[in-house]
Amino acid sequence: MNDRNRELKPFVEAPDDDMIICRCEEITKGEIRRAVHDGMFTLTEIRRYLRTGMGLCQGQTCTKLVKSIVARELGVKPNALGSATGRAPMRPIEMQILAKDKGE
Amino acid sequence: MKHYDMIIVGAGPAGLSAAIEAAKRGMKVVVYDENAKPGGQLFKQIHKFFGSREHYAKIRGFQIGEKLLAEASELGVEVVLDAIVIGIFPEKEVTVKIGEHVTHAKGDTILIATGASENMVTFPGWTLPGVIGAGAAQTMMNLHGVLPGHRVLMLGTGNVGLVVSFQLMQAGCEVVALADAAPRVGGYGVHASKVARCGVPFYLSHTIVSAEGEDHVTGVTIGQVDANWQIIEGSEKHFDVDTICLAVGLSPMSKLCDMAGCDMEDNPAKAGFVPVVDEYGETSVSGIYAAGDVSGIEEASSAMIEGRIAGIAAAVKLGYLSEAEGTAEIEKQKAALGGLRQGMFAPGMRGKQITETEEGIAISQNLLQYGFVSDEEVERFPGVTHSSGIHPVMECTQNIPCNPCQDACKNHCIKIGSHITSLPSVDPEAKCTGCGMCVAACSGQAIFLVREDCGDGTAEITLPYEFLPLPQKGEKGTALSRKGEAVCEAEVVGVRTAKVFDHTNLLTMKVPKEYAMKARFFRKGEPV
Amino acid sequence: MKADVVIVGGGIMGCAAAYNLAQNGVSVIVLEGSENIGNGGSVRNGGGVRQSGRDPRELPLVMYAIKHIWPNLSDMLDTNVEYHQQGNLRLGGTEQNQKILEGLTERAVKCGLDVRMISGDEAREINPYLSDAVTCASWCPTDGHANPLMATMGYYKMARRLGAHFISDEKIVSLRKIKGKVCQAISASGNVYEGDQIILAAGYESRFLASTVGVDVPMQPVLLETLVTEAVAPMFWQMLGTADADFYGHQTDHGSFVFGLNSGLEPFAKPGKPVSSSIAASAACRGIMRYFPSLAEIKVVRSWAGWIDICADHVPVISKVEEAPGLILACGFSGHGFGISPAVGLVLAQLATGQETAVDLSPLRYGRWA
Repeated sequence: MNDRNRELKPFVEAPDDDMIICRCEEITKGEIRRAVHDGMFTLTEIRRYLRTGMGLCQGQTCTKLVKSIVARELGVKPNALGSATGRAPMRPIEMQILAKDKGE
Repeated sequence: MKHYDMIIVGAGPAGLSAAIEAAKRGMKVVVYDENAKPGGQLFKQIHKFFGSREHYAKIRGFQIGEKLLAEASELGVEVVLDAIVIGIFPEKEVTVKIGEHVTHAKGDTILIATGASENMVTFPGWTLPGVIGAGAAQTMMNLHGVLPGHRVLMLGTGNVGLVVSFQLMQAGCEVVALADAAPRVGGYGVHASKVARCGVPFYLSHTIVSAEGEDHVTGVTIGQVDANWQIIEGSEKHFDVDTICLAVGLSPMSKLCDMAGCDMEDNPAKAGFVPVVDEYGETSVSGIYAAGDVSGIEEASSAMIEGRIAGIAAAVKLGYLSEAEGTAEIEKQKAALGGLRQGMFAPGMRGKQITETEEGIAISQNLLQYGFVSDEEVERFPGVTHSSGIHPVMECTQNIPCNPCQDACKNHCIKIGSHITSLPSVDPEAKCTGCGMCVAACSGQAIFLVREDCGDGTAEITLPYEFLPLPQKGEKGTALSRKGEAVCEAEVVGVRTAKVFDHTNLLTMKVPKEYAMKARFFRKGEPV
Repeated sequence: MKADVVIVGGGIMGCAAAYNLAQNGVSVIVLEGSENIGNGGSVRNGGGVRQSGRDPRELPLVMYAIKHIWPNLSDMLDTNVEYHQQGNLRLGGTEQNQKILEGLTERAVKCGLDVRMISGDEAREINPYLSDAVTCASWCPTDGHANPLMATMGYYKMARRLGAHFISDEKIVSLRKIKGKVCQAISASGNVYEGDQIILAAGYESRFLASTVGVDVPMQPVLLETLVTEAVAPMFWQMLGTADADFYGHQTDHGSFVFGLNSGLEPFAKPGKPVSSSIAASAACRGIMRYFPSLAEIKVVRSWAGWIDICADHVPVISKVEEAPGLILACGFSGHGFGISPAVGLVLAQLATGQETAVDLSPLRYGRWA
């Protein structure tokens, strides 16, 4: 995993490559698979490169799905891939509500 | 800034239980929950829970939620609803969005009890409206009174899939089938059996090939999978449905723990990304605890005990309880937790294939494959006996930690003994009066009263019935087998409802005596 | 393991240098200490590609990048880096602000940059979403912004395709001189990486690594925070900043707004993992809404923090080191490295291969503090 020259099986297009995996950002399975072949090996890198899990649900729905796709592409177990960092706000919040917050 | 001894995030079973234990010791406790109603998943659980009497067995989930809430508020716990914890910051500070405002609060301890969210699986059409989580379906019907659909296919035969399938039927939906990619039913056999005898087919080793529809689901195709999880060509089956429910597991909602800086692990045994906790539920950050599904997916009953342990541990940490007292109380809770984590469905048993019960009886393979125990298999279990008069028939064939039936019978007809996972057996010496308490007490709806021979060529079967409208005495209909197939005509000879039965009605039907051990459900309407 | 050049740090500087080297057939190993490529400031910044407001000593680098690299970068990297060159507005609302902006503008004009002061109304003509609170602004039409995530991952992707060898989760703990020449990087697990040249581009960590071969760069880490909103329909493409420096940012191709924040507490953040404060996002929202009231109902979906490496005189060190031959420093970017990163990648490759650099690097030399 650390060695980014790790040999991967050649990328072969699959019939379900156009299936949407991250619904919020409309990222397909094929895009995720290609990203792995372009060197995005961790969940965080996939996220930074494709925006998976960066939408309104913040990855609550797709994280496991993305993980399993990446893991299969890399030939590793899904839990070897780490997870994306939890960040505030846990739920989307309007700027005008935050703007009223004076730390009290 | 507000300040508390303990800030609890999540008013579910774990959060409320912790709040109760902490407040009992004099701690100032607040519980924040993002939902409009407290109780987490408890308030949508309309079925009776398993377990022992001390731990709310045979009480319906939502009533457990009500009890916890009442107890918490009596103890002065502040429960704030529609309160979204949006962040957790150093020095145990949380920010909470309440209505249109953000407030800050600090706790000397924090419990993160945020529960879990539903997993999804992908197949062509999985993003169509009409594909929903089983938990979401449950929220719609049981919390909001909205029918999720009319014809439903359920994917997943774990307890969630089984329980929600039954509840969908109770709400008036037609469940066309249950499918599961696994080769065996994952949830409790008794939950499966009550669904199967309503006539719902089980398709194990089957998964969804595709959902059909333009702008919403209009149909679904399932297919059998081979050892490599690939669809076997020609095995496809199509159903017209408007709803597909996915009950394919839960994932801990642990991002707050991660944000709080707790050490995390991706642990498949705990179903995902969870904080590393010690035996008290304390994370690597001193004073921050996690309990319930957020630290590993289990049942609500274990979440409640984990919550209690965290509450007591926090009280010890903050000096509200002496170390000695705390240790003693935690030991009691741990023993209870140990009791729950026994039997065939214990966390440690995941993935293991069980062939025999603890009593050495071969497991019903039919149950695992098709959701019901076959007529032949059922005879080998200790709850199933034959005698001339009325007697209980307990079709309880798996070791699960549950024993209310034993206490339900005033005449001690039913024996489980001190080992809570033992299968119930019938005491041939004790006299059954046909009171039906055992039938109503069984959370698995697996106990029947049978009079095998009424002397006139008929038999009478009393079964638990939780559908509306209730059949009337004298009404004729069809008796269904364990598989849900019509076996004979049946006449309702009694319908008993009583407060003590807690909405489990006792329906007694008369069938030809050769069906005494075959007929297990009653279908209203024209007889066959 | 050996290569012509060993790069310590898999951020955008390291990736861009690796790309430029690999393209010229130079063998490269890139060592990233964390699990993820581009884990530091490279992916945590506000995405500005600005000339205005920049120190004259690093202005040539950014001008070179804007003229020669940024416009073609998406094609070069086979990655949409979302570069927009539609100007930078630095906003002011008080007389004090006006003075600050005039000072910055005057300095930039002297360096030959097309930047000028404009009135509040002129600013609103450029960006109709600005409130009346804006009374003045500096305007640099050739400035812009890009997506730091895509640029960083794009450089990585292309460098890797060209044969650069990346290794992540490989924390380098020391450099080593052999017979007077810095040529080894040694990891925590004891692995030794050998190169004719070692490029040190590891953010603030560079300080500790440089000191293992007797070199010190006077810098300190400072926390910066950023927030991002949900996506909305496109509103404007300018890069924004303020005279008060309380926020800066832009709308991305995706539709979300990315804003860098400044609550004033950042220099006092605790060391360790970068952690957002509980009030910074709220404070930034107040600042943003004062100038952009129409963003009031847009939802913030995420915020994050990151460390920047502030050099004593607020410009980076991009330099060979006389007393440590073989070592090339690329650190101390002081929170404004992203815009210059394509040019830095180029000049680092030029330094490592002994070529003349595209711009004069002497103002950024090591040892300039004497």
